[in-house]
Amino acid sequence: MERSFAAEVKQLALGEGEILRGEGILAITKALLQSGVSYVGGYPGAPVSHLLDVMADANEALLAPMGVYFDASANEAAAAALLGASINYPMRGAVTWKSVVGTNVAADALSNLASAGVIGGALIVVGEDYGAGASVIQERTHAFALKSSLLLFDPRPELQNLARMVEEAFAMSEASNLPAVISLRIRTAHMRGTMVCRDNVRPAVGMRDRLRAPAFDYARLSHPPSTYAQEAQKFEQRLPAARRFIAQRRLNEIIPGDRPDVGIVLQGGLTPTTLRALALLGLADPYGGSRIPLLVLNVIHPLVPDEVAAFIAGKERVLVIEEGMPAFIEQELKALAYERGLGVRIHGKDLVAVQGEYVPEVVLGAIARFMGGEAEGQLAALTAHAGRARAILRAPLPKRPPAFCTGCPERPVFSALKIAQRELGETHVAADIGCHAFATLPPFNMGNTILGYGMGLASASAVAPAFERRVVSILGDGGFWHSGLTAGVANAVFNQQDSVLVILENGYTSATGQQANPSTGKNPRGQVVRMSIAETVKSLGVSWLRVVNPYRVGDTLKTIREAMTTAAGGLKVIIARAECQLERQRRVRPQIAAQLKAGVRVEAPRFGVDPDVCTGDKSCMRFNGCPSLTLGESGDPLREDPVARVDQSCVGCGLCGEVAHAAVLCPSFYEARVVHNPSPWERVIARVRGRLIGWLQAA
Amino acid sequence: MLTDWIVAAAEHAGLAAQATSIPGVAQRTGATTYYLEVHPVASGGPGAPRPVFSLYPTPGDVDVIIASEFLEAGRTLELDYASPERTTLVASTHRLFAIGERTVLGDGVFPDARLREAARALTRRTVAFDALAVARAAGSEVNAVLLGAFAATGAVPIPDSAYEAAIRDGVAAERNLAGFKAGRETVAVGTSLDPSPPAARPWPERRAERVAALGRRGGTFLDLCTAAEAGLDPAVHATVGEALARLIDYQDRRYAERCLALVRDVAALGGGPRLTERFARRLAVWATYEDAIRVADLKTRRARFERIRTEQGAPPGATLVVTDYLKPDLDEIYGILPAVIARPIARWAERRWPEGRPTIGQHVRTTTVTGFLRVWLLARLRVLRPRSLRAEREWALIERWRAAVRAAAALDTDLAVEIVETATIVRGYGEVRRRLAATFVRLLDEIAAPAIDRDRAAGGDYARSRALVAEARRLVLTDENGIEAAVALAARPA
Repeated sequence: MERSFAAEVKQLALGEGEILRGEGILAITKALLQSGVSYVGGYPGAPVSHLLDVMADANEALLAPMGVYFDASANEAAAAALLGASINYPMRGAVTWKSVVGTNVAADALSNLASAGVIGGALIVVGEDYGAGASVIQERTHAFALKSSLLLFDPRPELQNLARMVEEAFAMSEASNLPAVISLRIRTAHMRGTMVCRDNVRPAVGMRDRLRAPAFDYARLSHPPSTYAQEAQKFEQRLPAARRFIAQRRLNEIIPGDRPDVGIVLQGGLTPTTLRALALLGLADPYGGSRIPLLVLNVIHPLVPDEVAAFIAGKERVLVIEEGMPAFIEQELKALAYERGLGVRIHGKDLVAVQGEYVPEVVLGAIARFMGGEAEGQLAALTAHAGRARAILRAPLPKRPPAFCTGCPERPVFSALKIAQRELGETHVAADIGCHAFATLPPFNMGNTILGYGMGLASASAVAPAFERRVVSILGDGGFWHSGLTAGVANAVFNQQDSVLVILENGYTSATGQQANPSTGKNPRGQVVRMSIAETVKSLGVSWLRVVNPYRVGDTLKTIREAMTTAAGGLKVIIARAECQLERQRRVRPQIAAQLKAGVRVEAPRFGVDPDVCTGDKSCMRFNGCPSLTLGESGDPLREDPVARVDQSCVGCGLCGEVAHAAVLCPSFYEARVVHNPSPWERVIARVRGRLIGWLQAA
Repeated sequence: MLTDWIVAAAEHAGLAAQATSIPGVAQRTGATTYYLEVHPVASGGPGAPRPVFSLYPTPGDVDVIIASEFLEAGRTLELDYASPERTTLVASTHRLFAIGERTVLGDGVFPDARLREAARALTRRTVAFDALAVARAAGSEVNAVLLGAFAATGAVPIPDSAYEAAIRDGVAAERNLAGFKAGRETVAVGTSLDPSPPAARPWPERRAERVAALGRRGGTFLDLCTAAEAGLDPAVHATVGEALARLIDYQDRRYAERCLALVRDVAALGGGPRLTERFARRLAVWATYEDAIRVADLKTRRARFERIRTEQGAPPGATLVVTDYLKPDLDEIYGILPAVIARPIARWAERRWPEGRPTIGQHVRTTTVTGFLRVWLLARLRVLRPRSLRAEREWALIERWRAAVRAAAALDTDLAVEIVETATIVRGYGEVRRRLAATFVRLLDEIAAPAIDRDRAAGGDYARSRALVAEARRLVLTDENGIEAAVALAARPA
């Protein structure tokens, strides 16, 4: 795993009145234990991976002794289904995943769960990467809450408030029989702060206090005719109960202000941004006091009509600050104002940007427009310098997109694919989610579609029979076990698809932080598991299967060539197997340091470029893109252009040399293997060689 | 790390602070942005109102920007975060090149001067220096050096003792304290946004070095140099001298004399020293094309092994094994042979394998005696070079170029300089070089020649031709398939 969470695990055990210091996601995790959860699960993805990572590390020391079950769910659907335990039994449970993509995968189970209803509190912590990170579609989780009647929290980002909302969410879930969702923005998950803890609560039902009898109640099955009754319950009992709970517990907050004519209704998560914008416009103080009245919605579904109406009634104009589309809150407020004849003008997407992340400049501009006059003057002063730097820079700065790490075993596969396409002609490449999606960026620019996690091969199904050449699909081991096994491989074999599948097996679900997956050899709880992609694929009926060491680019190239040209029909699977280099370095580095210290013989390979042999055509970089393969001065008084250089971060994987070889580029690359603490015999040999070579060099 | 230190230091100083970041995928070699806020008023104790911190920076509302790389410093400026009234920029000037800068055939590096200019215009104060170099010298890390520089600016009211306490709370405290101190001192001594001009050492001094480096052939070089300088403008002495040193090192006196005659020929065209200087420079690089003999020669030099030892930081007592990745194709091998023998072989091979010739891949351990000997013996074949097929072909191309330069010089000196510069297109090995050579020929035939004809017919100056040739060269050196775009551009009516 990417990090060790030993310090965080210690904090999870803190008791009443003690102070926790850490990230937002840690406060949430601690609050789960304070709420007496019986079970926790989920699928990793930014920004909530750390919840699972911390839980995995805490399993043995903390969770298991409390009887809390930790599930490393195979995918989000499995995680959502895990919450099924709360339908019949008084068990609190929490799962986590990245939204909106993870929620899509979970949707089937979620619909069933929400229809049946829960008696134990069920909580889903979703990481909203809206606007920020990678592999996420710009959609709102809010739509799921509306269609399935889920309780949706968007808490004001402050550690104590996050923890409180977790505890309230469990209680509200039980009061309304509806599953609750807490949505965390990426900066909230990673913000550092403090909270005052409470004691952890051992669950009433769990691994140490087991259930004795099954509960059978057809009314709790999401199956007709129960579903008809359940639909009625949602709107007649459950949502009204939730509204009562929100009002009684005062989950939403009001900052009063002194302007009677205007007000702002906002998602709790946007509170700091809004307060800062107000402060910059001279309308708020640094301590959260605002001149404009604010209604801060910690719960954005359901809304409480009476509460909202009481806030907006009597005002002339109200601004809704609501991130993402469609503008559900704004629409509901407008409908409410119309129904109740409140006569207030409601602004929202007419003043704030329709789409995209609500960064300060967006909110700032909207509030300035909403308030007009002096506020607009303040904004103009703040942004007087805008655009000047761009004028001086004249051209956009070169982008720095994410890329494969130095020594990554996935990069060579794409080098080989690029060389193969140069030889055999370009073909359609169905990309997938994972680190390997970086191949869609420079210098590879490879990948024609991305259809979701594990969907690469499936997305090639109609292109394959319609394409002149064999198409290539990419799948990581994470994606394979998540859904590629069924939607991809089984589907392709069943339909006798004639195409090539490259599986990048690096042993971890790497993009989210090297979490264990079935290819790792053990699960996150540390138990040994033996699951093999090669065996699985074979058992599904794939007969053309090759396993390659990706660092041997020549061999990989030959295998790809063979797969692309063989007369054999059906699915051809190439497994490129080598350990994630980040994880490997984390393991190997301390070992090498210890060996060097102990005076043990250590070979340290690293690559280099002869600057006088390199002519600076940079072909190597167009086939490679390794961060350690960069530019240097030629040192040549007659040549101005930079040449290739391997910097000190090189881990000696050998790809640059292999690529220069396989693509027949140039003779500039060499491997320099420094042998530390050589044996006496090696020393003698080296001395003799040095003598003889020195004599020839002098000749 | 840097963020954690500042937050901890603020806490040591009794100030409230909050930080957040966007790691995740951005960790995989992308740039990660951290944002933190420190409330400048000491906390009033429990129960006192707590400041509400923002999770995002607002453009124009940023007091300090710390950038551990210079392009990223520029990016914060590009996004309007810095304002001239308010912002202090603490930046390391070293560069980690972005992928788009690295894959350009020629020089794709974003101009440093523009980054400096933007920093000067958009900040209240900029502290910019090579923090990587300072860190290495201090045996420390860039982050620690930048923390020291940040502390030295005094932009945030936190005393040094608080930073030092924060560092002591963490790992590798001594190393980091050393970096912190080095950063502080660098700022105390003073930094400048003006890049230090490269120390251009006088030519006579460098000439003496070349003499020494050429060993036994140093005398020949000095003779030839003195003779050359007599007839040429002093402005071109250094370049012509470097060219002669390179040519003698590559082949011999006769070869250098042959090239010198060509330089004199261009000098006599009356285009002035700039044309002569550029021509001499490009000719010398081209005439020392990297054939297998040259590569073998460079790979077996003593200085090379010394350089590798230093670069790899091999401590005394450690042994070094160097493996060279060599893969000449058939062209490069028969290219060494005398043209009379190689011509029929080449004809046959090019018919047999029109697309890409077979290659002979080998991993040679140049630090072993047998491995070294194999490469060293190849380098001894230098005597074959003047009559080789490769020489015949390279020189045919050089002559085409020279003819184009002479023709252009008769019309317009600046145009001739542009033609001279097209020589930089021809580079690389094997297939890459053949493709680029073909590109070069197309540039001369399909872009330069028609453009010059058109300008001549129009009777005006040659501004359009100059611009077209320069733009074509830029396109070709930016993108491997740039020649198509260049030809299309040239075909457009003026």
